[in-house]
Amino acid sequence: MSSPCTVTGRIPLQRPLYPFSAIVGQERMKLALLLNAAAPAVGGVLIRGEKGTAKSTTARALAQLLPEIAVRKGCTFACDPARPAEWCAACRDTNRDDSSIVYRRARLVTLPLNATEDMLAGGLDFSATMANGTRAFQAGVLAKAHRGILYIDEVNLLDDHLVDLILDVAESGVNVVEREGLSLRHAARFAIVASMNPEEGSLRPQLLDRFGLCVEVTSEADPAERVQLIERREAFEADPIAFCRTFADEEAALSARVARAREILPTVTLASQLRKYISELAMSRNVAGHRADLVIERASSAYAALEGRDTVNVKDIMEVAEMALRHRSREAVPPPSPPPPDDDNGEESPYRTPPQEPTRTREDGEASPPPAAFPSGSQDLSNQQERQGGFGPAAADALFSIGEVFRVRRLQPVEDRLARRGSGRRIRTRTADKQGRYVRSRDNSGGQDAARDIAIDATLRAAAPYQISRRVATGRDTVVIRRQDWREKVREKRIGSFILFVVDGSGSMGARGRMAASKGAIMSLLLDAYQKRDRLAMIVFRRREAGLLLPPTSSVEVAGKLLREMPVGGRTPLSAALVKAHGTLEPQLLKDPNLRPLVIFITDGKANVPLDERNRPMEEALRLAGHIGIDSRVRWIVVDTEERTGVCFGLARRIAAALGGEYYSIDDLKASHLVGVIKGL
Amino acid sequence: MKQRNVYPFAAIAGQERMKTGIMLTVINPSLSGILIRGEKGTAKSTAVRGLAEILPLLEVIRDCPFHLAPDEGGDCCTECRNGSCRDRRLNGKPAETVKRKIAVVELPVGATEDRVVGTLDLEQALQQGVKYFEPGLLAAAHRGILYVDEVNLLDDHVVDVLLDSAAMGVNTVEREGISYTHPARFTLVGTMNPEEGELRPQLLDRFGLCVNVEGSRDTAERVEIMERRATFEEQPEVFAAKWEETSRELAASVVAARDRYISVRVEKQHLFDIASYCIDVGVDGHRGDIIMLKTAKTLAALHGHTTVTSNDIEEAAQYALPHRVRRQPLQDIIQDVSQVRRAARKNIEGEKNAAGKLL
Repeated sequence: MSSPCTVTGRIPLQRPLYPFSAIVGQERMKLALLLNAAAPAVGGVLIRGEKGTAKSTTARALAQLLPEIAVRKGCTFACDPARPAEWCAACRDTNRDDSSIVYRRARLVTLPLNATEDMLAGGLDFSATMANGTRAFQAGVLAKAHRGILYIDEVNLLDDHLVDLILDVAESGVNVVEREGLSLRHAARFAIVASMNPEEGSLRPQLLDRFGLCVEVTSEADPAERVQLIERREAFEADPIAFCRTFADEEAALSARVARAREILPTVTLASQLRKYISELAMSRNVAGHRADLVIERASSAYAALEGRDTVNVKDIMEVAEMALRHRSREAVPPPSPPPPDDDNGEESPYRTPPQEPTRTREDGEASPPPAAFPSGSQDLSNQQERQGGFGPAAADALFSIGEVFRVRRLQPVEDRLARRGSGRRIRTRTADKQGRYVRSRDNSGGQDAARDIAIDATLRAAAPYQISRRVATGRDTVVIRRQDWREKVREKRIGSFILFVVDGSGSMGARGRMAASKGAIMSLLLDAYQKRDRLAMIVFRRREAGLLLPPTSSVEVAGKLLREMPVGGRTPLSAALVKAHGTLEPQLLKDPNLRPLVIFITDGKANVPLDERNRPMEEALRLAGHIGIDSRVRWIVVDTEERTGVCFGLARRIAAALGGEYYSIDDLKASHLVGVIKGL
Repeated sequence: MKQRNVYPFAAIAGQERMKTGIMLTVINPSLSGILIRGEKGTAKSTAVRGLAEILPLLEVIRDCPFHLAPDEGGDCCTECRNGSCRDRRLNGKPAETVKRKIAVVELPVGATEDRVVGTLDLEQALQQGVKYFEPGLLAAAHRGILYVDEVNLLDDHVVDVLLDSAAMGVNTVEREGISYTHPARFTLVGTMNPEEGELRPQLLDRFGLCVNVEGSRDTAERVEIMERRATFEEQPEVFAAKWEETSRELAASVVAARDRYISVRVEKQHLFDIASYCIDVGVDGHRGDIIMLKTAKTLAALHGHTTVTSNDIEEAAQYALPHRVRRQPLQDIIQDVSQVRRAARKNIEGEKNAAGKLL
């Protein structure tokens, strides 16, 4: 068998990277990256910012500035010759003199979003295994990143199980591989550099805390800088090699500065009173844990080293402290969302509060409650409302602006292990079609349909050990694969869910700015639905009936538009709403029995229009709710819009109980109430 | 094999902005693709096919799975099963080449990632036990056009991969035990119907250009469209012959623009115009500026001059900025960029006046 690899035939595909020193502006980001290049112990950087702000370009450009490290020739794990305890088998075997030591730049390894687990952690080397009949390990991304930097673009979109793996390895510094019959461990110490656009969703707090530093980037507001930026980019694209040459001196100087910083870093000292200052700084910002202190200490030492000094002063600490505290602090730094009303420091927020619409909006429900609203102290709602003659004129309808928009807590439909089809990001599910991330393989040699989605690599790996004996047995000299080797791919992906909004548009919702707050809540839920790629539908009930305002769609934009234009006024036909909701869900569930819809019922629960004139509205609604709530596939969430102050009726809570669903007030929906501010990042 | 008849590009009535947009990306693939937003049945794919048909033939290496040009090479050649051209080249001989039309590769919505980026060659793996790379659609689209219908319905990470390749001109595969790089410079044309949901902002931003199309509202034009289509379907050859002259001129202008692009110059003042335009309408990040400059230069090349004029810049904004203007959450993409700018300008002026009065 001839190997297809001919190293001599390599015709390189040259593509120079944009030079680090040619990046205009973005000083904080550049500093944070340089600190990591000089001192990997700083623990990585998270770069947050809007799209198109050179996040990835800068991170990739850093690769050219990383200092040289000593490695042994032929070692695939980049073992440190100075640490014999961590040596891999190859390093231990070679003679231990210095002749086999070579120097190369530390690597910046990019983790593609579509990476599989065995690419990340390493797996069985297919070619070597096939060729030699012995198990050989193919190093993964984590091994390549050892003593260098692991770069993750759009880290907030990375699959959770990969994130867990990376965190685990980053924490311990060792990658333990126990899979596919392989069992080995190798050192993997790296700094994580990651970028994300907060518009696309948040990051788990555990992951957030793993990053030593965090910087925010925004686009330049100065036209002159922008012009310089486009000029440089143009010049680079016109002739990358010539462009890089013009920056060669600066690059070399910067590279030398980083290398020098690494050299003097061990000698940098930090006075003990400064150490005290650091911990006070961290405490004043209410930082959880001690990692911030440690990071500031290391980063300020790195800063001093980059400046060529061997003692840290207060200025160094001030320079780096903000970057280390920003994502850990529970106060002081305004949380990324929601933007506080007095947000005047230009903080970029993923959600900009929609503008008020003063022209056709009554800002404040209190100032002019729509006539149909009943006094909030009334006891017998239904009857009183009946007598009041809720047939208010159309002129009683009011429009309310969208209130405060916030980040919502995690809402998930009922979880299970069913395989389904679809796309999105709300629920993780096994997928039945051939899409989705190939997470692992399983032995399906006896199953029906076994050949439908074969995991070739796993199949071959399963067959590989028997090849020599089988070849002898069959007399063929190709790979012999038996049915018992067949492995099937297990795929998993997140899919969106179906969310039905049932919104109370009755006059009672107009009171005390309740509608504005409710619209804010719905808007928040819509944004969340967008990020998770859900399909939506919206029912609005008011006056005598409930209408399907928005038939099932994926367009969150349309839903947002309808929400803005939704009028309020009239009575509360709660029963009709329940029936309509049921009627909307039914065909969806018929179409896809595996669907697990989420119904978000936004009301104050003050039912006053029955379906059947003879029934009392509230009793009827509760009875219906009990009936509809039987289907366990649907998860009901009742959001109570009733004010907590004054007299509470708790009617929405009763509805929720009858539906067998959950009950929240608008405030409960806010993610910040659950896990503190850092979750918001 | 009988040639399938393609409706001539030049014979498409109306849809000027879409036609120009497609031509711009064909002239300058570094614009990294065009997103066409609009209803069904607005000649989107007809335009793409029609244009590919009339463009000059490409010279490619014979049997090259990556459609490389004679002077191209790369990592992909080392593990390519077509060893003959590699051997010839290593021996200093030029590779054999053939000429062929520009490929229009269609990416179906259900496409899996392995089909898009390429994967392990199963047959070779099983029979020979060797690891060969089976090229995917990105390799097929190299130097051609990749047409993605309903791009908003594609899996997010497939779109990611597409845009990555479109921007870098290289496809990097790291999966299932293969690690591979091959050139993939293609013109990306994506279409979507906004009613079915938006693209993620990050992805939206990475499409260089964006045009909105809608069916013509003009009765006369609609009649014209129907008539042309009917004539084409009755006698495609005759119809094509009738438009051949116009088509040839069009193709020539594209080729000329491609050559001229390198020599197009921009005055400093115009760079400031671009930057202030982007600041005025509120564009996130800097990609808008860069793409707008490139678009203006490409437009200048297409219009036959070698310096960018203010008109080019104004026109470039219509292509490069609509999808980049900062929006309220869940707001629709704006239709008219210059209107936004006028409004923004007015605001600024208003503020200045107010400030003046106060002082």
